[in-house]
Amino acid sequence: MSRAGRIGGVALRQVLLLLGITVAVFVLLRVVPGDAVDVMASEGDITVAQEDLLRRMLGLDIGWPGQLLAWGSDALMGDLGTSLRYGQPVSDMVWAALPVTLGLAAAGLAIGLALGVALALLAMLRPGLAALVDALNVWSIVMPTFCVGLAGILVFSVWLGWLPSLGHGLVPAAIIGLDIGGQIAKPLMEDLRETAEARFVTALRSRGVRRGALVWRHLLPNSLTAVLPLAGLIVAGLVGGTLTMEVLFGLPGLGALLLDAILGRDYPVVQAAILVLSAAVIAANLATEAMQRALDPRVR
Amino acid sequence: MRRIARRSLAAHRLTRLACLIAGLATLPALAPAFAQQEPQRGGTLRIAQGSLRTADPHRHTGDSPVQQVYAEALTSISHDGSVKPMLAERVEVSPDGLAYTFHLRRGVRFHNGREMTSADVVANVERVRDRVQGGWLTTAMRGLRAVEAPDPHTVRFVLAEPFAPFTNLLSELWILAPETEGWATTINRPIGTGPFRFAEYRPNIRFVGEANRDYWQAGLPRLDAVEFDIRQVADRSLALRAGDIHVARIPDDAVETVRRDPNLRVTFYGDTEWCAVSFNNRSPRGPFADLRVRRAIAHAFDKEAFMQTVGNYVVGNQMAAPGSYHWDEAMERADPYRQPDLARTRALLAEAGVVPARTPLRIVSWQNDYSLFTAQTMRGLGFNVEHIALDDIGMQTRLTRYDWDLTPVCSGPRADIYLRFVRLMSEGPRPQMWGGIQDARLDQLISQAVTTVDDAARRRRYLEAWQHVMDSHQVLVLGHRRSPIGVRAEVRDFQPGFTVSPHRVDGGVAYTWLAR
Repeated sequence: MSRAGRIGGVALRQVLLLLGITVAVFVLLRVVPGDAVDVMASEGDITVAQEDLLRRMLGLDIGWPGQLLAWGSDALMGDLGTSLRYGQPVSDMVWAALPVTLGLAAAGLAIGLALGVALALLAMLRPGLAALVDALNVWSIVMPTFCVGLAGILVFSVWLGWLPSLGHGLVPAAIIGLDIGGQIAKPLMEDLRETAEARFVTALRSRGVRRGALVWRHLLPNSLTAVLPLAGLIVAGLVGGTLTMEVLFGLPGLGALLLDAILGRDYPVVQAAILVLSAAVIAANLATEAMQRALDPRVR
Repeated sequence: MRRIARRSLAAHRLTRLACLIAGLATLPALAPAFAQQEPQRGGTLRIAQGSLRTADPHRHTGDSPVQQVYAEALTSISHDGSVKPMLAERVEVSPDGLAYTFHLRRGVRFHNGREMTSADVVANVERVRDRVQGGWLTTAMRGLRAVEAPDPHTVRFVLAEPFAPFTNLLSELWILAPETEGWATTINRPIGTGPFRFAEYRPNIRFVGEANRDYWQAGLPRLDAVEFDIRQVADRSLALRAGDIHVARIPDDAVETVRRDPNLRVTFYGDTEWCAVSFNNRSPRGPFADLRVRRAIAHAFDKEAFMQTVGNYVVGNQMAAPGSYHWDEAMERADPYRQPDLARTRALLAEAGVVPARTPLRIVSWQNDYSLFTAQTMRGLGFNVEHIALDDIGMQTRLTRYDWDLTPVCSGPRADIYLRFVRLMSEGPRPQMWGGIQDARLDQLISQAVTTVDDAARRRRYLEAWQHVMDSHQVLVLGHRRSPIGVRAEVRDFQPGFTVSPHRVDGGVAYTWLAR
């Protein structure tokens, strides 16, 4: 198959995946009991007759296929609809939340990558540090991000008073970074150790290549290919961690928007937020695949 | 003509006494941290209490307390639940209860500087009644035969039939300047008369109100601004303890931690939530239509233990909180279910021919401790229990199937006792929470009560309606709980409302100041 054909095939698969996610979310939302009018009614004292009227006004009285068609055709034209709860354009709400989520995710990823790579390298050079890498790896697997976040607020805001408890990204980014760092450091350390024993490394050493150059130019690029297959998991964890941290630290990102929309059965907002998050995860996976192809000739 | 203020005073004497005693009891403990000082001006109060779903006060469906700092109404509900005039100076009610004449305060100005007149009030009433479909009070306004402005400072309402909670409900009909942009559709920047102007609103994030220096109550507000934190956050008590928020609604399990902190205190809304177990009244299944079985189940509940799982409680058997005007002491003393009586339960089940082990019992509930307690109590009797625990809306929607037998619920503060009773009526809101009662006799009793003009006679009729509910075993009340609010020590003269209202004519955030 030609290169153009392969790229076209990949693109088509991703579009179909996105479409599948959209339909699945649409259906799942409506399977969950209750709609936006039920939420409004539960908050106040409107009568059953008023509920019916509100459903008609919000377009919730027509069948699922009709709702899906209306939403889908508008979405294709770039109109993500209007929030059932706030009466605001959904695209405005998503665009306002997106920078917060992207910023937190980028900061967490940067901290995680720096921490993971640094620890793995240090542990290769100083085998005594392997225990620290193991500990961080176990931490990233067993510690629930939510509990770590609560502990972070308690320590840094309530006890020490160094940071505000809400509305900042410092502790959340560090917690996400610790998680990612722990996931990366262990496999990277193992691969670095293995690569360090390889014959081409012995040959490079015998040719007098200095340790710094050996590590940065030869060992690390070789071993990074061992971490790349984990990228999908890391991205998924990153999305989950970011959304959790937003809710815990009161950051007005997509996670907070999504939680409020799910609890309020604000269908257009949930659909738009998940569409954006899915597109981001798909894009990240495509980028990872491209990097893997660039770095590892065996995958080409 | 009778004066509303005088009537309310008499109506809530008992509650005030209870509040006074409770307040006096807590004074010695609070003395060091909350010593009295002269009120200071300035500062921003950060408050996390309540929500704001829409900036348009006429469009909300019942839960938008934040708007009360920028929009005011003709009346206001005090902490003790009594109705007081707010934008009106005084109110006169005709002896037949059909005509309400409001004499407006002079010199009340909207945030754009224009003086409020009776024509503005009429325009707001008409907007709520005729233009805002599906909004809060839309139904209540249908009972309005006419609203007139005989002069610039008088508004006269004429009702089709007497409606006792009318002045009470008007406390939530907010008066805005009709020249506000979006009047014909949806208002995004409301122009009200409140102590704080509408400054910034980011849905689900925050609302900022800046002090209205031309406020009609001289010397108020004392603060420069109020900032409502309306984010979805897991636990507000941490932000309160860290000093990032001054006032916050806190979880029940955080009350003891907050109380131990010398920089904080705990206070409560004036009204309570009433907690009950509802039977399926719309289409009862199997033996649960049998009065003997309902009585058996009622005898099985340990009210004290149930309410302990709810927290901040008092045990009771009525919809009205103990000590309040519509509560009856004799009825409370006569409660046959005050203590659990399992022997009686077993005897009644045997008499009805019910073998619990062979009887399926389905409970639909929220996910909380008192629901687990209910399920465990029924399992203890030997019933074959199926417990379906769902999230808030999931549970309320599931209840509409009426294929269940029991549901434990707690229902929040309401500005008038009618707003509790109306839920038990055939056409009332959210009927599934109370088992979908459709009882013509009960409808009649509640309708008679709400149209009774005389306070004492109306109270008797409400009690008669409640006695009917108890005798029919439609709903079993277990007690009342109070919702806790955490307040930082530097916050002075802050007292929560009867309901979630943060502002009222005689208290709330306009009076609050920050000690420095």
